[in-house]
Amino acid sequence: MPRILFHLVLPAAISVCLVAVALPTSIHAQSDVAKVYKKNCVLCHAADGSGNSSSGKALGAKDLASSEVQKKTDEELAEVIAKGKVKMPAFSAKLKPEDITQLVAYIRAIPKK
Amino acid sequence: MKLTRPIACLMAAGAVTLILIASRDTRAVPSYSRQTGLPCATCHFAPPELTPFGRKFKLDGYVFRTKPEVTTEDKDKKTHDSALHLLEAFPLSVVFDTSFTSTSAPQPLAQNGNFQFPQDISLFLAGEWADHVGSFAQVTYTVQGNHFSWDNTDVRYANSHDLFGKPVAYGMTFNNNPTVEDLWNSTPAWGFPFTASNVTPSPLAKAVINGTLAQDVAGFGGYGMWNEHLYIGGTIYRSQHLTGAEPNPGTGFPFNIRGLAPYWRIAWQTVTKNNSLEVGTYGMHMKSSPNAITGPMNGYTDWAFDFQYDRTIPQFKNDVLSFRGTYIRENSSLGATFGTGGSSLIGHHLNTVQGNVEYHYGTKLSGTASLFDITGTTDPLLYAPASVLGSANGDPHTNGYILNVSWWPQQNVDLAVQYTGYRRFNGGQTNYDGAGRSAGGNNAVFLLARFVF
Repeated sequence: MPRILFHLVLPAAISVCLVAVALPTSIHAQSDVAKVYKKNCVLCHAADGSGNSSSGKALGAKDLASSEVQKKTDEELAEVIAKGKVKMPAFSAKLKPEDITQLVAYIRAIPKK
Repeated sequence: MKLTRPIACLMAAGAVTLILIASRDTRAVPSYSRQTGLPCATCHFAPPELTPFGRKFKLDGYVFRTKPEVTTEDKDKKTHDSALHLLEAFPLSVVFDTSFTSTSAPQPLAQNGNFQFPQDISLFLAGEWADHVGSFAQVTYTVQGNHFSWDNTDVRYANSHDLFGKPVAYGMTFNNNPTVEDLWNSTPAWGFPFTASNVTPSPLAKAVINGTLAQDVAGFGGYGMWNEHLYIGGTIYRSQHLTGAEPNPGTGFPFNIRGLAPYWRIAWQTVTKNNSLEVGTYGMHMKSSPNAITGPMNGYTDWAFDFQYDRTIPQFKNDVLSFRGTYIRENSSLGATFGTGGSSLIGHHLNTVQGNVEYHYGTKLSGTASLFDITGTTDPLLYAPASVLGSANGDPHTNGYILNVSWWPQQNVDLAVQYTGYRRFNGGQTNYDGAGRSAGGNNAVFLLARFVF
């Protein structure tokens, strides 16, 4: 059994895992706004925008569906995303202006979900 | 020798004076900070203690960033080309430690009052490697070795999906130290003390999961955090000896894993705005042959429990009070060691208890008090008499306390004073080693200046 484990099962398991690691970068085309949101915003604002992730609660991340956020103009929201505010980092170096515009629209749609 | 205590006192007084004139600048720039655009304090109460954000950053594979990358993506899928995600800034960081250590009684025929400039220098490859893949990889130069050597390393792939309607973050890790993959500061690899002298005597007995295998193994594992509450992880390890021959013949190394050594971890956490609580269990099972890869084996099974509670106090400008603790029970069957006359019994156990409380005065200052206690099976052959490091009665019982004050004038500069006091060392208070040394003789003052950039 140990010989089978070392010669077959273990290398196979590691290979499968490594292929799984490689797949996302080779066959996915991550470009839609939901993926941009997931990659950049979920860490603090949570998948539903509530800010109820563990790190969001600790940092006081805003509920994106709240009136405090929704009453801001599109330009104000875009500026917060681009330049950051208080504990939120600036994303202007990473996200393109069109990504930020799409994110603003995504945030606008959160209360309706 | 009489000059060493005044020197230690002067340096301690100097450090306290510096603490009293703390500056206000609070920004640091190691590679994670460069990658995320966030100050060190977002991830650390004080390095290496992780905040909830820091734990999530690690859980997600060290890949969150706000800074640009070199990238190509075949959005239209018109070709068979691969995508590319490379950080524009190479994720390299440096830690420079310089220190001074003085023990209450000098070690025989050795200098007391040791300056180490540097004590060590670490280089970190720490940051995003590719989409979903990141690292904490460390190589360290030490004065004693006069060379760089591989240090704590955790390279991981991470992703997230939904499971039963709740988010699950999961991933895989390659690492070289059981518990280095852990998210909390209550387990050995990232537990207190966060800094230590490398010239003071250490107790004889140590559980295998308590750092014994650090950088002496290679492991591959997986983990998952469900709904940001339930964390389950596991890693399998094999021996990989630094400086040893490859393939590993086992010669000259006390631990050579036979088969696979599994490590497991289960933890439950809950986080609110001002509270973060974790309780969990971890452990490891290992069969090992000393100095060989065949023949008689020793068996070790470690069961451990831990907790961590961090309380942010809004009334005190968000100062943080932390409590952490762990208990490790090791049951071992030392058949191989017994067969070579290295122990007088086959069955052994070892209990390790450690607890500490720390107050963080903002991100500038922290004070920690810790108690520790190690007890186990008395064995005059396994814990044999030897000057300073041995035991006269074969009892591994060691207990004491550690007090630490760390001042961070900037988030990337640490000036620390640490005092370690022993009430019992290797089974005794006086003449514990059979050569006349007392436990209190190993009490040590340790001063550290650390620069991270």
